[in-house]
This record gives sequence, structure tokens and C-alpha cells, in this order.
Amino acid sequence: MSTHNVPETFSIPVGPLHVALEEPMYFKIDVQGETVSHIDINAGHAHRGIEYLTTKRSMYQNVVLTERICSLCSNSHPQTFAMAAEKIAGIEVPERGIYLRTVADEMKRVTSHLFNVALLVHLVGYETYFMHMMQVREIGQDMLESIFGNRQDIGAMCIGGVRYDLDDKSIAYIKGALDKIETETKDIIKTFKTNGSILRRTKGVGVLTHADAITCGVVGPVARASGVDYDVRREAPYAAYDRLPLVVHSLTDGDVWSRAMVRLEEILTSIDLLRVCLRDLPGGPVNINDRPDIPPGQAVTRSEAPRGEVIYYLRTNDTPQPERVKWRVPTFMNWDSLRFMLQDAKVADIAMIVNSIDPCLSCTER
Amino acid sequence: MNFLTIFARNLKQGPQTEAFPLGPAFTPERLRGRIEFNAATCEGCRICERVCPANAIRFAKTPDGMTFDCWHNTCVFCGNCEFYCPTDAIHQTNDWDLSHVNADKFDMVEHGLIPNQTCVECGATALNTAPMVKNAKPPLSTEEYAEVRARCPKCRAKYLKNRKVPA
Repeated sequence: MSTHNVPETFSIPVGPLHVALEEPMYFKIDVQGETVSHIDINAGHAHRGIEYLTTKRSMYQNVVLTERICSLCSNSHPQTFAMAAEKIAGIEVPERGIYLRTVADEMKRVTSHLFNVALLVHLVGYETYFMHMMQVREIGQDMLESIFGNRQDIGAMCIGGVRYDLDDKSIAYIKGALDKIETETKDIIKTFKTNGSILRRTKGVGVLTHADAITCGVVGPVARASGVDYDVRREAPYAAYDRLPLVVHSLTDGDVWSRAMVRLEEILTSIDLLRVCLRDLPGGPVNINDRPDIPPGQAVTRSEAPRGEVIYYLRTNDTPQPERVKWRVPTFMNWDSLRFMLQDAKVADIAMIVNSIDPCLSCTER
Repeated sequence: MNFLTIFARNLKQGPQTEAFPLGPAFTPERLRGRIEFNAATCEGCRICERVCPANAIRFAKTPDGMTFDCWHNTCVFCGNCEFYCPTDAIHQTNDWDLSHVNADKFDMVEHGLIPNQTCVECGATALNTAPMVKNAKPPLSTEEYAEVRARCPKCRAKYLKNRKVPA
């Protein structure tokens, strides 16, 4: 018996294909007993060369290509790309288009956050509630499919506006779906605040302190859960956010629970924003109804994707293809913070902590 | 307690999953599915070919005219072609059922032909495309449209130029 009591250090691999980890990320984790002592993060398993591909396609083809970088932020990428192209060409998006961009953005945020929090519940081991949350998300997915024609790649954006329009019937449908999601989300928040299983597994786990959050430069809900009150929608408003009553939620604990709670609160805020957008939706055209050539130039734009700040750099030349497209995605900033979160964590919590940064490796490794 | 309410509701509602393939699947009207091409309204501007990010659309000149092919196995169903088409000649239906046996993989193509015609004015062989007259003022009458259509591109331009007088 006594030999077993001597703490020994083992190296265990987690990923890149791990049963509980949905993203292809490889962790070499040194454990002492049940406790993590050192983490080595290795990425690069999902490289598809999309940055190179963008320089082989025209600006108008790239709106679709950037949409396919990531399925959960599939609206933020083409939107930020289109914003960069519009900045270079000096295109003014019509007022109705601006509002419809916000509508698409917030709808995707609702379903993306629900998906992440549902996965957290799955990793906690509360499978029944996971199923229930995915069913709530399904209301949102049906909404996306009915309005945009696809569950994930909604194809709402184009250079100069949006590709879709809303009529009274679809507005009424969205409002009905939002009411359903709102009621359910409020219930989910209540469950998160009271359910013993969820609280025991997530409270005080994977803590990222405010100081560490600043050091790592984390963005999005991860930053806001650690007390960094930062949201691109408020700091540098794009689309219609300067006209909307945006509430930025931030918590101070920086644990897995706080990150989930920030996301859940943001769902409610998104629903409020959507309601205001649908109420104030101005008339007029939804896009510029033209396909202008984008002149040579360069631009940097940013937006708040569900996972945090996404930045696009675009340089164009005389050809229809861009010379360089570069994007910095939220996960790139957030995954370094895993070193702090996983330090001294229990082996059983690894997958849950990794999920709590809402990693998106298809964006990061593109 | 919270979950017991959900449990009772779910017990009453029954399974949330769709009965497909035994029953119909949820298919919204706006679903972006199979491509449909209407050669009669195509202007032959080939913008769809240029904006297609997957290069699924190909136009080709043949002795009979210009053929249109959209390869559904390459198509990503983004809808760029429909969005940029000036005459709605290309359209995405909400038919999503594209499953097929491997032997049919080369048949998953939407095919169309814009036939050749002989210009009624100069007798040259030209494509029978829909004329680009969206911005013509005043709008063309049905007879005028047919007359423009029966001409080759050069004679169409001439016809539209000389037309200004009656307005």
C-alpha cells in the first residue's frame, strides 16, 4: 500500500480526438495523482489553408468562403470581412441592411451560446438537461433555417448589406420563437443557480483571475467572466449597436460557472436587442443592389463574435482577388489562458474547463 | 422541481425528433436546396459562374448554343448565384433530398441550354438569351421584347437605340 501513496508524475495526452473534447486540440498534461501540474498545448490539426484560398477567390466569392471558416461564428466572419471591404470602397450600407445585420448577428449569438452551455451540462454529466438545452437551441436553429435557409451557414451577409429581408410574417415568427427561447433560458439560468450537480462541478473550477485575464488578453465571455468589462459592440459599435440598449454582463469570479452565466445572460440581452431591432426596423433597401469593384487599399475591422472579438485585416489590389486577408479570432487569445485555468485542476475537469473557453479551432487554425 | 415540470411536459408532448423517413421532415419555405435553372430567362451574363465560390457552375459554348451546368456535388448551397442573378433565372428550391447512389454521382447536375438562333435582322447566329432591358425606358411591351429577343446582340443594341423616338 505504501508505495501507492508516493506522488508520482505522469504525462497524459488529452486530444486531439478526445471523447469529451469536441475540438481537435492536443494537450500534453503532466499530472501528479489527480492534479494537473503542467500543460503543454499543441495545435495545428485542422489547418485547411483558408487564408491562402481567400487570395485565390474574388471578393464576392470570399464572403461565402469566410462564412465557412467556422460554423458557430458563421455570421461574424463574413460580416467583418464585408465591413473591411466596405471600408476600403467607401460603401454605405442602407439603414435597413444595418438593422438586419444586427438581427442575423444576435440570432447566431443566441444559438451559439446555448450550444456551448449545453455542452457544459453534458460534460458535467447531466445528460438529460443537456438534451433539454439542445432542444431549446433547436427552436433557434429552426428559426435560422426558416429565415435564412440554412441552420449554420446562414448566408445573410453580402458586401453592401444583407441578402435577406424580413416581412411581417417572418417578424411575427421570430418574435414567437424568441418568446419561447426567453422563457426556457430564464429557467436554465434558474437551474444553473440552484442545481447542486452543476454548482458543485462548475463553481470555483478553472479560475482565471482578473490579473491573469489581463495578462492573457482574453476576449469575449471569458474576459467578461473574469471582470474585464469589454465588448466590441459597446467599445467600437458597428452595425446598429450604437442605437440599441446593449447591456454588457460581467462577473468577477472567473470560474467555469461564471463563464456559463455570462453566456446565459447574454442570450437574454440578445433577445432584447432582437426585439428592439424588429420593432425599429426601418424601411428601404436591404443592400446597395450593386457589385462594385473594391479599389486597392487596406482596412482593419472588428466585431464581437459569440466567442469574443474577431479582427479582420484586408488588403486589396487591382485584381478582383484580395492580396491578403488575415483574421485574429477570439480562441487564439483565449486558449493561452487555459494554462492558468488548468493549473492545479482535477483531471476530470479538464474537458469542462477547455469547453468553458468555447474553443473554436476551425477559426484558429483555418 | 424545475426538471419535473419539463419531464411532465415532455411526457405529454412525446418525442421531439422528426419521424423522417417515415414521416415528413421540417422543411421551411426559404430552405436553400437544389438549384433550378431557367434557360428562358437567362441573360447569359455569366455572373453566377463568377460569384460561385465552389466553381460548381460552368457555362460552355457548344454547336447548339451555350450550356449551363451546376454540379450539385460541388455546390455549397450558398445562394450567391441566385442573389446576384439579374433575372432570377437561377433559383434555389427547398428540395434538400440529394441523396443518391454512387452510380448516379455524375447525374447530380442541373443542366440547361441557351439555344442558338438566327438573327431576324442580319441573319447572324447568336444566342437566344433574354435581352438585358431592365433599365430600358419606357419599359418594353411584350411585342417589343419578343422583337428584341429575336435579334443578335448588335442588332439588339441598334433596335433599342432607334426605339427612343416613339416615347
